[in-house]
Amino acid sequence: MGRIQLHDIRKSFGAIDVLKGIDLTIDEGELVVFVGPSGCGKSTLLRMIAGLDKPTFGRIEIDGTDVTARSAADRGLAMVFQSYALYPHMTVRANMAFGLQNTNMPKAEIDTRIGEAARMLEIEPLLERRPGQLSGGQRQRVAIGRAIVRRPTAFLLDEPLSNLDAELRVSMRAELSALHDRLGATMIHVTHDQVEAMTMADRIVVLRAGKVEQVDTPLNLFNRPANLFVAGFIGAPGMNLWAGQAKGVSVQLDSGALLPLPLGVRVPDGPVTLGIRPQHLRPEVGGPIRAEVRLIEALGPESVVHADMGAGGGLLAVLPGQPDLGRGAVIELGYEPQFVHVFGSDGQRLA
Amino acid sequence: MTGVKGMLGAVVTAPLGWLARLLDAPLRLWQRVAGQGGMVAFFLLPNMAIFTIFVLLPLVINIAYSMTTGAALFLPDRTYVGMGQYERLLRCTDYTNLMTCQEDQFWIALRNTGTFVVLQVSLLIVAATITALILNRALRALSFWRAVFFFPVLLSPVVVGLIWRWILDRNGVLNAALVGVGMDPVNWLLERNYAFSAAIGVTIWAQLGFFALILLAGLQAIPRDLYEAAEMDGTKPARVFWRITLPLLMPNMLVVIVLALIRAVQVFDEAYVLTGGGPGTATLFLTQYIYEVGFASLLKNPGLAAAASILMGGVLIVLTLLQLALGKRNERKGKLK
Repeated sequence: MGRIQLHDIRKSFGAIDVLKGIDLTIDEGELVVFVGPSGCGKSTLLRMIAGLDKPTFGRIEIDGTDVTARSAADRGLAMVFQSYALYPHMTVRANMAFGLQNTNMPKAEIDTRIGEAARMLEIEPLLERRPGQLSGGQRQRVAIGRAIVRRPTAFLLDEPLSNLDAELRVSMRAELSALHDRLGATMIHVTHDQVEAMTMADRIVVLRAGKVEQVDTPLNLFNRPANLFVAGFIGAPGMNLWAGQAKGVSVQLDSGALLPLPLGVRVPDGPVTLGIRPQHLRPEVGGPIRAEVRLIEALGPESVVHADMGAGGGLLAVLPGQPDLGRGAVIELGYEPQFVHVFGSDGQRLA
Repeated sequence: MTGVKGMLGAVVTAPLGWLARLLDAPLRLWQRVAGQGGMVAFFLLPNMAIFTIFVLLPLVINIAYSMTTGAALFLPDRTYVGMGQYERLLRCTDYTNLMTCQEDQFWIALRNTGTFVVLQVSLLIVAATITALILNRALRALSFWRAVFFFPVLLSPVVVGLIWRWILDRNGVLNAALVGVGMDPVNWLLERNYAFSAAIGVTIWAQLGFFALILLAGLQAIPRDLYEAAEMDGTKPARVFWRITLPLLMPNMLVVIVLALIRAVQVFDEAYVLTGGGPGTATLFLTQYIYEVGFASLLKNPGLAAAASILMGGVLIVLTLLQLALGKRNERKGKLK
């Protein structure tokens, strides 16, 4: 239970097309993360699946049944809102019971379910309190609890961690993943935070401007981004992307450097964009990349080096340890050729 | 330019400077005598003086009047009767029959006002809530509709009374319309129940926009995602209203109820212009009774009017204290969030 299929979902507000034809299958029990910059349509897509908004065109199926015309209540889904949307005048218990009471469920059954969920989320001592008396993290748990008691076919989470402080966000991230393992239910999680996406997802859906850019596992997105956008969006700090001309087995960058391509990789001669992740650059005497250091962010175990290759070619390198480099120093860098990404002039991956 | 500016500056600041120098010595003296805390009293003095002359003093004089009798206006010329006027107002031989009361008009006005308050306030609250709920929907030309409902609030109560008399009069617009479609005209303002209903209806029409606006502000403060959460849970509209909207609207609702109560107890202008208290005593309310006994009747009795106004003031003070208490409670709740 909990297989969700989207067929050519489109949404327009007046003349503005927010979603431009989304096809996607989310398998039973999967934790899928929708990620993308603000305004890419990820929340709109989630609301469409929830039934809070209707698509302008397209079909939504849950477990093979077309639910496009069904109301939100009839889809068997539960949503956790960014603001938690807890009823401020009700106790935690009443908040969790509210949805179940709509279905005329016997009180004993409601109590059992609330008890189970409260134990699982460790919020038993909070049951008689009101949301106003809870911390952000506690409210978050209650909001999840309110979803769990309904035993939905799938959970929809709309940026549930964005209102938490950094430390709490990391621990809640792990807890949500653990909860997903425990419940085994389908979850769709919306976020603009690519670290959240990478750490939690079985599969990530990268959206931009109402279109799916790539759907894949976190590591595949990192290792083989399908296009320039995904390459730049996934990974922190972002991938170095340099414009250049492919010539045989190497690429001549606009900044002057001549970089070899991996063995056996041939791309047609012409304009390309070459990408190397900052983590894949390493100091190498006589290496193909020479750059002048502009800034060093020393993080302790590693250092982020901002450097200038000349002719406007900026560079980011994450070097291990605390290299003894000053502003203005010239560094020589190399890389393993298999970590090079090449994108054509249309932005799509060539190699 | 700077010359002009400088001159203007000097013109403005010079008198202020003189004033400051003039006040300097007395202020210093006062601070030495009364301490820093005493300065607060000094700055409050102008306001307190106005309050004393125009509010506190009249109140005290009114209490004094209520303990005297006679037609004389000058207080020292009046005869002291202690609680006599209150006794006259409140004495009945049989409290189940208002006609046995010494001052039966007072009791009739009291009964009318009581009935009016209960009916007008409950209908007004229901109507204002429904109006606010409708206005809260994202409907077309929302600003226009808000203005339409708020417009009567801007009218003087006397104008409201006149407009509706023009409509409801025996030869008024409404009857002309009724005759026009072949129905019999109705004496809207000359039949007891119709006249009383008209007083209720017209005051509701006049105040609806104000109260609807307060409730609308409360409705708009309720986060939209609470309704979406309820929608996800398949909550029926009636349950959403009773379990989510109404409880969250309660702080505004309580303020609205108390304000409406206070205004209903004070009802006068619209009703007086509309019906003049008639037919008979059907729409005679407390304020009109006080006005007539004190100023308008042939046998003016300022003492009796004063006593009645003190009794009515007591009711209003209770309601105002209630409003203040509610306001404080809301403030505390607001701070908790």
